[in-house]
Formats: sequence, C-alpha cells, structure tokens
Amino acid sequence: MTVQTTGSNGNGHGSSVPEEIDYDDPRTTRFEKVKAAARQDGVDIVHYEPQFPERGSRLEKRMSRSVAFMFLLVGLFGTAFVVLYIVWPWRYEQGDVMMKYYTPLLGATLGLALLFLAFAILTWGKKLLPKEVSIQDRHDGGAPEGDRRAVGQTLAYMVEELGVKRRPLLGLAAAAGLAPVAVVVAAPLVGGLIKNPHADNQMFTTGWSPIKEPNGGTRLVRLTRDDGTPIRPADVSAGGQMTVFPGIPEGATNAHADSPTLLIHLRPDDAAVARANNVKGTGHDKFDRSDFMYGDYIAYSKICTHAGCPASLYEQQTNRLLCPCHQSQFLITDNAKPVFGPASRSLPQLPLDVDEEGYFVARSDYQATVGPDFWERP
Amino acid sequence: MKRRKIDLKTLPAKAGNEVEDRLGVATPLRSIINKVFPDHWSFLLGEIALFSFIVLLLTGTFLTLFFEPSLKEVTYDGSYTPLRGVHMSAAYASSLDLSFDVRGGLVMRQMHHWSALVFMAAIIVHMLRIFFTGAYRKPREVNWIIGSLLFWIGFLAGFTGYSLPDDALSGTGLRIASAIMLSIPLIGTWLTSSIFNGEFPGDIIISRFFIAHVLLIPALLVALISVHLALVFKQKHTQWPGPGRTNTNVVGERFFPRYTIKQAGFFMAVAGVIAVLAGALQINPIWLFGPYEAGVVSAASQPDWYVMFLDGSTRLMPAWQINIGIGNGYVIPPIFWPTVVLPGILTTLPLLYPFIEARLNKDNKIHNLLQRPRDVPQRTALGAMAVSFFLVLTLSGGNDVIADKFNISLNAMTWAGRIGLLIVPPIAYWVTYRICLGLQQHDREVLAHGVETGIIRRSPDGRFYEVHQPLGHDHEALPYAGWVVPKKMNRLGALGPALKGFFRPLERPAEAPVSPGHPPVEAAPERREIESKH
Amino acid sequence: MPRSRARRRVASALRLIAALVFAGGLYTAFAPAISAQDAPLSPAAMEGKALFDTSCISCHGMNAQGIEGRGPSLIGVGGASVEFQVGTGRMPLGSQGAQAVEKPPVFNEEQTRQLAQYVQELGGGPQLPEGNDLHSGGDVAAGGQIFRLNCSSCHAFGGGGGALSSGKFAPRISDTDDRVIWAAMLSGPQNMPVFGDNQLTPDQKRDVIAYIQETLKDRDPGGFNLGRLGPTTEGLAVFVVGITALIFTALWIAGKS
Repeated sequence: MTVQTTGSNGNGHGSSVPEEIDYDDPRTTRFEKVKAAARQDGVDIVHYEPQFPERGSRLEKRMSRSVAFMFLLVGLFGTAFVVLYIVWPWRYEQGDVMMKYYTPLLGATLGLALLFLAFAILTWGKKLLPKEVSIQDRHDGGAPEGDRRAVGQTLAYMVEELGVKRRPLLGLAAAAGLAPVAVVVAAPLVGGLIKNPHADNQMFTTGWSPIKEPNGGTRLVRLTRDDGTPIRPADVSAGGQMTVFPGIPEGATNAHADSPTLLIHLRPDDAAVARANNVKGTGHDKFDRSDFMYGDYIAYSKICTHAGCPASLYEQQTNRLLCPCHQSQFLITDNAKPVFGPASRSLPQLPLDVDEEGYFVARSDYQATVGPDFWERP
Repeated sequence: MKRRKIDLKTLPAKAGNEVEDRLGVATPLRSIINKVFPDHWSFLLGEIALFSFIVLLLTGTFLTLFFEPSLKEVTYDGSYTPLRGVHMSAAYASSLDLSFDVRGGLVMRQMHHWSALVFMAAIIVHMLRIFFTGAYRKPREVNWIIGSLLFWIGFLAGFTGYSLPDDALSGTGLRIASAIMLSIPLIGTWLTSSIFNGEFPGDIIISRFFIAHVLLIPALLVALISVHLALVFKQKHTQWPGPGRTNTNVVGERFFPRYTIKQAGFFMAVAGVIAVLAGALQINPIWLFGPYEAGVVSAASQPDWYVMFLDGSTRLMPAWQINIGIGNGYVIPPIFWPTVVLPGILTTLPLLYPFIEARLNKDNKIHNLLQRPRDVPQRTALGAMAVSFFLVLTLSGGNDVIADKFNISLNAMTWAGRIGLLIVPPIAYWVTYRICLGLQQHDREVLAHGVETGIIRRSPDGRFYEVHQPLGHDHEALPYAGWVVPKKMNRLGALGPALKGFFRPLERPAEAPVSPGHPPVEAAPERREIESKH
Repeated sequence: MPRSRARRRVASALRLIAALVFAGGLYTAFAPAISAQDAPLSPAAMEGKALFDTSCISCHGMNAQGIEGRGPSLIGVGGASVEFQVGTGRMPLGSQGAQAVEKPPVFNEEQTRQLAQYVQELGGGPQLPEGNDLHSGGDVAAGGQIFRLNCSSCHAFGGGGGALSSGKFAPRISDTDDRVIWAAMLSGPQNMPVFGDNQLTPDQKRDVIAYIQETLKDRDPGGFNLGRLGPTTEGLAVFVVGITALIFTALWIAGKS
C-alpha cells in the first residue's frame, strides 16, 4: 500500500516535499511508518530519543524494577484496604480508639495505592518511554475566504427560500402561534413554583401571636423551653438568658423558624437603663415600648435582622448580643439597636407578661418585623 | 469439526479492518493519537479540576444510594449514641447513617467533600494561570467565558451540596441564603417563598436542592466541561515561546503515548491526594453540629472556602440601609450590596475582560503564544489587585476564627478588613507593577551584559568586579524572546546540569567542564542552549 | 446559751441553703441584707480570709465589699465563682485586658477551696457540689441538646471557643475539668450568662458536662480534626496540603526527564 503524504508545514521542520511510503516495505522501520502517519496530520516528530542509549542497560533495568516495585505496592495497599475494610472494627463506639482509625486507615491505604499507581504510570511514561519533541501545525483563523462565502451564500439562500420577507403573514402567524407554546413550557414551572409570600401575612407574624379560642376570645402564648415546659420568672437568674419558644404545637420546631426568642434577666442597674431606653425608643422606630419588659426581664427575637442567624452570643456584663455569622452587635439595654457590624435594624422586642399561673406569656406578637429585611417591609 | 487455524500475527490487522469497514474511525483516531500537546506544569492545573470532578461524580453517586433527601421528621436511632433519641430530619439522619452505619461511608463522604474543595481550588488556580499568561486572548475568549461560568456553577453545586445534610451549620448557611434572596428589591419575597415553598425553611427545600445537586447542576457541569475540553482540542493548546515555537505551531508530545500516560498518572495522583486528605483530615463533622434548628448556632459559622469571600463582604459591609419613603415605605437592606450586587459585578467584569483588553490594545490578532506575567505589567498588576481583593474578603470571612486564635479584637478585624479592602488592592497593583518592571529590566541586563559567574576579579587599578558571561556573540545584546533568560551558569551548561532524580541521583553527575577560577573561554554557548529551558 | 446560738446558726445556714436551692440567682440580690455577717467563720474560711487579706484585699476591699474602679464586691457571688476564678488562675488578675485569661493558678486546690469557703460564708451564693467527677451517669444525648442550644453559640460546636465583641472571647472548654464547667455555669463568670440551678437543674448540668467530657473530648472518627474550626481550616488545608501537593506533582510530571 502506498500513501501520499502531503508536506506538512512551512516553518522549516520536516520536509515539505510530498513523500511516499510503502507500508509493506520491510526495509522501512515501523517508526518510519509512524512518522509518515504523523506527517499526514501535520505532525513532525523532530526529536525522538530513547531514555537509555543502550538497550537493557543497568540503569534501564533499575528503572523498570522500581516501576515494577511500585505496581506491587499498589497491590499491597489495595489488598490492605480490602482487608482493613473487612476486619477492622468500624461500628461507632464512644470512647473507643480502634474504630476511630477506621476511616483514616481506609483513606491512607486507598490514597497510597492510588498514589503509587500514579507514580508507577508516570515513571513508566516519563523515564522508560523515549523522549520526544513533535511539532504540529495550527490551522487558525477558520476556513479560507472561499469556503466562508460558500457557507454564507448557502445560509442566505435558505433564509430566502423560507420567504419570510416575501410572505410576512407567515412569519407573523408563526410567531403568534409559537409564543403560546413557549408559555406552555414555562407555565407549569413558574405556576407550580410560585408562592405568595404574603399569604396569611406570614412575613409579619410569628408563633407568638395570641391564639384565637373557639369561643371567640384570645389566649396569650406562653414562653416555653424547647421541651415545651412553661417558664416562671424565677427560672432565670440575673445575668442569665434562656432561649424560649412559643408554647404552641410545634412551637420549638423549624415550622416556626422565626419565633425563637432570647429571654434575658438583666441585673437591676442594667434593667433600669433598658426600661428608660424602652420609653425613649431608638433610631427609626421610636414607638413606646415602656410596658414590654416584665420586671428586670426583657425578651428579644433571636433571629438576626441582618441575615437571620440566631444572634445569641449574649455578653452579660456589656449587655451586647453578638451574631456569630456576620458579627453584628446589638445593645440589649438600648432597645437591642445595632451598634456594630452590618445589621441596620434593631432586634424586635417581645412584650412580656406573666399569666395568673405565674408563667411568662407574650402580651402580643412582635410589633416589628422579625428576621432579615426585605423590600416591602413598611 | 475441523479447527480453523488462526494466524495470530494477522489477527489484529484483520480485526482492525473489520472495524474500520463498519465504523470508519481510522482517520479521526490517527489524528487524535498524533495530536501534539505542549508540556508545561502550568498546563496541568485545569486537569486537577477535571480529575477531582470525576472523583466527585464517583463518590457522589455512592452517596446518593444512601442519602434520603427529605425534611420529614424522624427520631434518630443509629449508631452514633450522642444523638440517639434526638428529633431530626430524615436528610440529617441519613447523613449520619452514611457516616456511621454504612461501612466506609464516612471515607466516601469525606472524599466527596475534599474533592469539592479541591475542584473549586483548582478552578481558581487554573483561572489565575490563564489570566496571568494571557491565554484568554483571541481565539480563546469563549473558553474563558465558559471557565468563568464553571466557577459559578461549581459554586452553586458546592452550596447545594453543603446544604443537603441539614445539619446546624448547613441550615445556618441556608438561612443566610434565604436572607440574601429576600433582600432583592421588588421580587425578593416572591423569589424566596417560591424557592422554599413558603416561609423559611418550609418542607421541600432539601428535595429541590437534591435534584439540583445530583442532576441539574452536574448535567450543566458535564455539558460545559465537555465544551470546554472540546474547544481546547479544537483550538489546540497555547504554548510558551521558546525554541522552534511559533504562533502557528504546537511543540510538545503526541497525545499517545506520553501525553496520555501522563494524564492517566496525574488522574491517579489527584484521586490519591484526595483519598489521603479524606483519611487524614476530618471534614464537616456533621455529628457535632447536630440537626438544624432555627434557634441553634455555633461560633465560627462559616461556609466552605469558595463562598467565604461573600461571607467576608457581608461582614465588612457597613449598616447602610436605604429607605424609600413611597407609600408604606420600602427598604433595600445592607446585605443586598455585598451578596447580590458584588457577585454580579464579579461575574460580569471577568466575562468582559478579554474584550475590554483587546479593545484597549486595538488587538485583533490570534494569540497562541503565552506571555510571561512580567512582560505585561498592567495585566499582572491588575490580576494581583483582584487576587488581593479576593483574599481580603476571604480572610474577613474567617475573621472571627482569626480574631479568636490570634487574640485580636473581633471589631478590629472587621475594621482592618474594611480599610484593607480599600487600600490593599491598590498597593498590590503598585508593588506588582514595580516587580514586573524590575524583572524585565534584569532580563534585559543579562541579555546585554551576560550571566553573573560568581567570579570576582581584581582589575589592575584595584577595583573588584564580577565576571559576566556574555550570552551573545561579540558582546552584542541578544533580543528578548519572551521566554526565560538563563541567569545561572549551570543553565548554560557551564557548571554541569543539576542532578536528576527525586531523592537521589539516578545517573552520575556530569563532570564539571572547567576548573574553578577559570571561566569558560569558548566564545558563547549556542543559541539552542539558551532557549532549551523547561 | 451557746447551744441556742449554735442552733440559730444551723437554722440560718439551713435557711440559706434552702433559699439557694429554691431561689438561686434571684436570691443573690437580697443576699447582703440577710447574710450572717457577724457569724464566726469556720476554720477553713478563717484560712481563706487570711489568704484573701494578703492577695485579694487590694482590689476587692475589706470583707470583700469591693472597691470602686478596682474590683467588684464579692458579697453573694458564692463559692462557685471563687473556685472558677481562682481555680483557673484568672484571679488574681495578671494584667488588664479585654477579659481575665486562664493561667497557672496562684493558689493550690486546698487554698482555693478555703478562699471559696470564706467568700461563701461572707455573703452566701451558689456553691459547687462535692467531688471531682460531676459527669458520670449523665445523659450524653440530652446534654448534647442543651449544649447546642445554650453553649455552642459562644464556645462553638466542638467546644473550641470563639470570639466575642471587642477582643473578648469564649474560651475553649473541651479540655476543662468538671468542677470548672459547673462553676462557670453556676456563676456566669465575666460575660458568660448565668445558668443557675433554677434554669439548668443539677441533673441537666451533669448531662452537659457528660457531653463535653465524653463526646467532645473523644477522638474524632474522621481523622485529624483541624482544630474543629470548621470550613476556615478546611479551606486552608485544601490549599496548603491538596493543591500544593498536586502542583508539585505537576511540576515533576512536566519537568525534563
């Protein structure tokens, strides 16, 4: 078989004369055939040098031995992985040391097996195979001018043949007909997903809004612990704080993710300051909160007005409340106004009272919007 | 039956012909095998991302077999005793089961998470290489755009995956994500309630994130990565300038065998490093975080590192709230700027950068040769500026951990970040610019005056001077070729090459050609030696 | 007459303890008014007073009444507070900072208890239970729930501590003794909120400490825990270990062979 190879490049490497090669000619070596095949792709193998000038040299033997050794190590670590996977104690047991090594051992054996495989392959390729430098032509810039024109004309002809310009009605009708189809595709997706954010006024109410009784009256919501037990004033010491949840079904679950509240028992001096500031109000919202505290107790939403994390790092001496997500700091004794960080709005305050059985209740829902800010918050 | 004789020697050829008659693959196969790829370490950075993505797909598929994407409440009854009896979502419980009740599940979870971090890190490192060497220039703008998009899609893949276990840390992240969506003017509340199916957290978000994380986003990633690679293949790889390398050729190794072998080996190395990480270093210990509850949080709540720059920008943002006094009044909260507007800018600017640069330079040529960063000081300085901007934000994302571990005031860290964000990038620009110019100048000096030999001579009038080995003939300055200029004598072959071998020499060191104190006297090394570096 | 006096003293002490148990922190507000100032001190408290008069009096004043601008009154803070502050070396205060830091204690265990006894007898206040093991038998799962809701916000999920505002911090608690943790909950040292026995019962405290001592101190099942600092150190590790290792591999692969 004879193949015509076209001369490859114009940069001086390799010959630009078409050459013929006889693939059946026993006098040409296989490498010469490979070179000829490469030339067909515009590739010149300009440098091809065995790593070891003499075949079977000591160096070469040593290199192939080390590759072989690495392959054996792959097998060793692979086997170790399987053996450890089967025999090593793996069930979690608190305080047990052996089982804590299960994952590290699996990772180590698997990792070492893969790494030795990597280096075995790489060493084989890098150190045993001949070094080569090949040069290939690029054919940048796309098709020559003639081809471009040909394609362009064909495309233009196709558009012409459709004749939208000549038959405008057809175009309009097609557009009018297809537009609803596009809507058909979008409708179920949009319609299925869309959800009114203001259904049940959910952005502005929490689990603390008084419960409507069947008889028409309302019942105030108790402050409860996460297990649902109600809280008396004596349950929190001065300088203490407690995370409280609305005493309603599922009140402490994520169904009421906007309701967790921090009940704080201020020291008497701080409480006096907080009471005074409650009357004055702060910043934008200057409404009167003079009856929101109960004794020295004060309660603020735990949900940060910035990004909604629980702002719960309460410093009982400085009376600062820090949010761990973005470090907004709120001053509890001044209406929980933001004093540092990116939050721009005070934490909403929960109006407190104690019911006839001596348990804390929320006198009403929060009067300010709980949680992160949004466009239509009044 | 008579056994037909099979000629083993002609069998491959025969089989090959049979295949070729039917499929006609010989010619394309030959052109693939013969395709030449340039060889440089910096061209392997993208492969780290590609290979870690494959590890992600493999480990991720394993995880889906055990993960239950549901917010249905269950009571935990698995092996991890410290959480027994705790109410939690099925998603969290199944993540715990993956860690403690599926044999080897924890190492798979950790491999998945580590490879995600490696994937994103490799994307960034790869992108920096592309940027600083000018590889995005015509004709490769499209691939630059795809690469930038891949970062953001990887970002989404990471975030949705981080949210799936429904532990307290991921729930906190999800809460912040909902606040970010809420902050968008006009549509914020509608968008959020549509995604969460009502008020946060709703009861369906994990299922939605799951399908996004295991189907939609990976499909998009696979599609874009395929196009990305196909374009590299079609347009051929860029290369550094050097001997024989021109704008119209590729100098390197053929696809087969050496290039393929190196790729296969490197894939194993990437997988191996990820496996070692997964075994040695614990990642995302969800069992310590507990189930997500709206009232639970931890100090040092951070997202994964590639989201941390947004966390940092949010932390540094001053509390600037915009009130619009129309009707009931409307609000643009401060979180909107660092988390919606800033990423918007950070997405758009890089996408447009290749076109902006080409227009400013009035450059419409095709570029297949890379530029050394020092040779384009403006771009390099601009890149350093961007990197320092990103670094300040990322460090600020962990500023509470830094404050705690290095005994710095948290408030001081925030202020340092705010000021640093404004002054560090310009300083980085200026410093980088000067360094580039300095390096350029040194290259030119060596080309003009030669390499420092380390040999000190004393002239008859008593002055000391160092002998320089000129590179060009007859003390003529060589032109700069856009490539490494040799600056040490052993690079010229005058002192013998550096020893080969990883830990110990594999071959005997070449003998030093000249005795010390006697600088090489031959006129000048040949051109080939100057250029044959790397 | 000494008999009835002794009985009076016993009765008053009993009242004190009863009030403590039932009113806890609330009680402390009224403590100075009803504390038995004139009652003679027990021998241990006498020792404690001697120590107090040599080491603490300059800031906390005569009879621990406090000195404006130097040190607070210790009337009513209770022995728990003293055991925490002195037992962890936070007191005597070394240097002025955002908050007192842990350092090698100046007083040994016995002296600390004597000081605690003295302050206790001066003004009452919350006291620690006996014994060094305050966690055995606690319910780890229940303790974990309490820990995550009340403690992790400042001390972090892994108990490694965290930063507070303006240079203050919540210390690492995963290597702390039972008594110290109990004392901290009872007394609310520095900026830590008080978790009196009214809020967290002694059983619940036992649960929390059990969680800290048995779960948080346990070896991590996933390998080295990177300080349990979450994604910050994980992100650092992926560059320092992962990417660095792979770049070196790439350098070797592409290097001249």
